[in-house]
Amino acid sequence: MVSTVQNTDIEQKDAEHAVVVAMTFKAVFGSDDGDDVYGAGVAFTLLQALQTVNERLLLENPSEMLLFDIILITTDRQQQQQSDRIMSSTRHHGLQIHRFCFSCEDDFTDSLLQNKVHLFLSTDKNETVQAASRGVLSALVDHQTTLCSSQQLKVVFCGDSIVQPDADINAASRQAAEVFSAQLGEMRRRFGALDSPLSIVVMTSSGGRDSCCSALRTLRTRGLSVDEAHCLAGAPRGIILSVLRPHFQLSDGLSGLQD
Amino acid sequence: MNVNNGQTLSISGQDSTRNGSSSSRAPWEDARMVLKPTTPTRKPKPPKPENAITIAVSARVLFNMEKEQHIYEHQGMEEYIKYQVEHETEPFNPGPAFSFVKALEAVNARLRELYQESEELFDVVLVTNNHAYVGLRLINTINHHRLFIERFCMTGGNSPIGYLKAYHTNLYLSADPVKVREALEEGIAAATMFTPEKMKEVSDNQLRVAFDGDAVLFSDESERIFKAHGLDKFFEHEKAHENKPLDHGPLKGFLEALGKLQKKFYAKGQRMDCPIRTYLVTARSAASSGTRALKTLRSWGLEIDEALFLAGAPKGPMLEKIRPHIFFDDQMFHVEGAAELGTVACHVPYGIAQRVIKKGFMDKDASPSGQ
Repeated sequence: MVSTVQNTDIEQKDAEHAVVVAMTFKAVFGSDDGDDVYGAGVAFTLLQALQTVNERLLLENPSEMLLFDIILITTDRQQQQQSDRIMSSTRHHGLQIHRFCFSCEDDFTDSLLQNKVHLFLSTDKNETVQAASRGVLSALVDHQTTLCSSQQLKVVFCGDSIVQPDADINAASRQAAEVFSAQLGEMRRRFGALDSPLSIVVMTSSGGRDSCCSALRTLRTRGLSVDEAHCLAGAPRGIILSVLRPHFQLSDGLSGLQD
Repeated sequence: MNVNNGQTLSISGQDSTRNGSSSSRAPWEDARMVLKPTTPTRKPKPPKPENAITIAVSARVLFNMEKEQHIYEHQGMEEYIKYQVEHETEPFNPGPAFSFVKALEAVNARLRELYQESEELFDVVLVTNNHAYVGLRLINTINHHRLFIERFCMTGGNSPIGYLKAYHTNLYLSADPVKVREALEEGIAAATMFTPEKMKEVSDNQLRVAFDGDAVLFSDESERIFKAHGLDKFFEHEKAHENKPLDHGPLKGFLEALGKLQKKFYAKGQRMDCPIRTYLVTARSAASSGTRALKTLRSWGLEIDEALFLAGAPKGPMLEKIRPHIFFDDQMFHVEGAAELGTVACHVPYGIAQRVIKKGFMDKDASPSGQ
């Protein structure tokens, strides 16, 4: 049984026009130490970065409706039963979470669809795979995310998968990726080339410059202009990623990280 | 033939034909290319960064972007980007580093002939502050000129230094002296490249690299003595310390890397025909202070093909005879002198010479960050 509760402490976003981002309990709060208040999880800086983007968007245009609408979603029964503690912890940390979706393993992907989630973020690879199989764009967050900036949201599109899409991706997944790219593109356009709170990165790992070129063109047709492009042509990804510090990586329709 | 849709069917440069090996592809591979045009091209795979000698070049030294730079400086970033995107399919003309990069590719072609499996090759990486919107024009230009550059970093305004380290960069060339200084401070060999008004023609089958000695290959310790105490003291000091090797300078590592590749040619009996040649062009004199320089090189186990001791004479005319693809000096006076006579000269902003304010030259060094 799923229940969705609004966070009355903060202003709600217009879900029709917003970019709906759902994050799991574990991503937001990490593990349960048994204290009254949950501690910070790996996605704290990510939450702050999303908030920074919203603030900057509203600065440019106070009646802006294309904003990030953030949902915290529980994905197991145990978390589902901790609704009070979750809400009070959110209040305690002053987190800008707009809604809480208390669901369990059996129906969390249903909740994602019901809430028209555009992007699902989790620390659990299985959860991202499940969500992706239902056509929801998903990405993994991990301890690397804690090292990212809270002043600028950096998203990496993994170009090799854009260019040579995995045969397993279903049409709904592909479409979810396109929709999100277009939304991000519009958000990005609200800012200039420099000093943007949102940075879009393309990275191709194995192909040569042609594959990066294709990725850039593909994203352009989706309405997304790219800030940084990195064509690795087989060079090790890890070290480049540690310089880039993206909050998360997107592969078309797939659930996040390769290697 | 110029295919600008991002799919090139050529192998790495035309250099393989020039060097005598007509095609490294067998006839059935040609057939495969015709039948399946979506197959990735038969270019050789880029070497792993830790095995290769990585040369990072910025967009403005690889290509001539003077007009665009002018728009950036006078009309701002947004106009600059707009202009670039509007002219996306127009390739840039070659810049000062272009012939150097072509010469590196020629050496690679010879190395691949002799050592098919080795990854000890030059790897050229484009490292630019440009946004990826401009990137498409750069990629189109690389395709147009058939350069073998498969790796790049377009940092969208962020510092390139972290990426230079990630690629184990052996040499970084940029038009921006601020970035070059930052790189040097991080221990990466780097130099600011200038465009001569008229570039002299250079060899297309032998890479020639010329180095100044003090504060480039060697530390600036002797230069300090000269600046503090004058020429006589300098001679005395160098004579007294003839057998004490000088400390190393920022470009010693690069000379070492070139030497390593040269030895690979010597091992295959190609010393007389080696496609890499190195030069020392120094104000030291052969009779006296030059000895310490040569002994230092020997103590490092490094060879240099030609050593030119000018005893203070201008370097420009000598370099004009040598025709190097690139020349490194720590003093702007020499860099400008070389450029005036058509040599592609690079400034290594290292050592005591940088603390001496030269009237008029400093303004020319400044360039906008973010480029």
